[in-house]
Amino acid sequence: MMAKASTIVEVNNLTYQYTDRPVLQNLNLNVEEGAFLGLVGPNGSGKSTLIKCILGLIKPQAGKLSLFGSEVHRFDDWSKVGYVSQRANRFNAGFPATVFEVVSMGLFGQLGLFRFMKRNDRDKVMQALKTVEMDAYAKQPIGKLSGGQQQRVLIARALVSNPTLLILDEPTVGIDATSARRFYELLRKLNQDQGLTLLLVSHDVGTMTKYVTNVACLNKSIHFHGTAHEFETNPNLSSLYGYDVQHIIHEHEEIAK
Amino acid sequence: MIDVFFQYDFLRNALIAGVLIGLIAPMLGVFLVVKRMSLVADALSHITLTGIAFHLLLANFFAIFSLYDPIYMGMVFAVIGSLFINQLRTVYGHFKELAIPIILSAGVGLAVIFISLADGFNTDLYSYLFGSVAAVGNNDLMTIIIIAAIVLVLLFVFYKEWFFLSFDEEQAAISGLKGKWLELLFSILVALVIAASIRIVGILLVSALMTLPVASAMQWAKSFKQMFVYAAIFGQISVLSGIFLGFHLDLAPGGVIVVFAVIILLLSLLKNKIVKVSMNRNVQNR
Repeated sequence: MMAKASTIVEVNNLTYQYTDRPVLQNLNLNVEEGAFLGLVGPNGSGKSTLIKCILGLIKPQAGKLSLFGSEVHRFDDWSKVGYVSQRANRFNAGFPATVFEVVSMGLFGQLGLFRFMKRNDRDKVMQALKTVEMDAYAKQPIGKLSGGQQQRVLIARALVSNPTLLILDEPTVGIDATSARRFYELLRKLNQDQGLTLLLVSHDVGTMTKYVTNVACLNKSIHFHGTAHEFETNPNLSSLYGYDVQHIIHEHEEIAK
Repeated sequence: MIDVFFQYDFLRNALIAGVLIGLIAPMLGVFLVVKRMSLVADALSHITLTGIAFHLLLANFFAIFSLYDPIYMGMVFAVIGSLFINQLRTVYGHFKELAIPIILSAGVGLAVIFISLADGFNTDLYSYLFGSVAAVGNNDLMTIIIIAAIVLVLLFVFYKEWFFLSFDEEQAAISGLKGKWLELLFSILVALVIAASIRIVGILLVSALMTLPVASAMQWAKSFKQMFVYAAIFGQISVLSGIFLGFHLDLAPGGVIVVFAVIILLLSLLKNKIVKVSMNRNVQNR
């Protein structure tokens, strides 16, 4: 449909296995520039593994994976990719750092060795905090914020290097429903106003599908990839990947065959 | 009372060495504490003892070793120990802290064997265990100055990388930071700082100098940068009091240093308690 040049993530026949159990098998997935793609799938369907492969943290046994047209292990412009992982297990809540300091980390990779934050970099940090409406908290210790606020700060950290693609792995785990909705609205705004490409992994299928433009269903491989509207109006898919996912994995494997 | 420290070389040496280790040990300690590796300092100080004991043993057989300071052998052992700790932390992934008792007990076990094979305990060994005001010779001082310079420069250069790595290893790796090398370099620095501090603080208490001022700093600092400032200030107060009182009252400085560090910690905790209570009162009075 779209020209190849605008494909940001390209996954072809990807297989990844821990010892003898394949987690991802012959997986194909493209993420086009400007998309807001929601990735759904039951527990153990390989969502986090796929994200780790895309980020180059683990190496798949077979298949091809490209970021911005270059093979992931040769890709080196990581400032183009922002990543926000699950809040719960990521950092020690008592860590003695301010919100400002945490967001600055997003620039460290770009700055490289022997270079320090300049005034211009500090402005970037404040701008990113403004985008997520957390600029008033710049001097607060990160540990004193609520879960939702911390997650916004981590979005700011991912945004500060001005990425083209933002990957989020279960960002709303442990956050109350109101904060989660505000969070999704922020993502939608970033996608629509700034043209940021988003890849969002979430359990919270019901809420998420109201915000994303596309949905991909994953269980070892991609079983569906279409618009959010197609996903919601397809009764099989929305019930399979909807609220009660864990109980029907086996049923789904039948259908998939 | 203070001028005596400038009349005698050994006291002047102790004073300069104290100022330096009171600066670098707590500053490096900030990273150790936030990485939840405080006990690594303990393991490495004990393995330094193994090196020192090994040197003393060799000196019994080979005269040439008596010409050198045993602390160098201690440093070599500490660096090797830190490499082992790094490796064990990878092997035991989810049980990273297991590396510490393994290295610590291996170190003490070997040290005890070396000490028994050499002539057993002597006053020299006693000063390594508990520190001494009189132990800093000119060569020791030179070593401490060189180590302090290396540590300060590297802390400045790699501040942002180590900060990122200790906050969020995964994210740091994604931004392209070479975590493995930075971790290795950090472990080597810790080993060197411990070996340098042992002359004054002693093997048994050196880890306190890397952690207690940091624990106090946590009660005051409002940012990660401030952690270093407070840790260095508290480190200085403890070390200088240790050296002055240690000399005037003829006490092992290591003990005095740690007692002062503990007093500072208690005062810091008390201050925070008072602040909290008064804040609650203000809220209630409104």
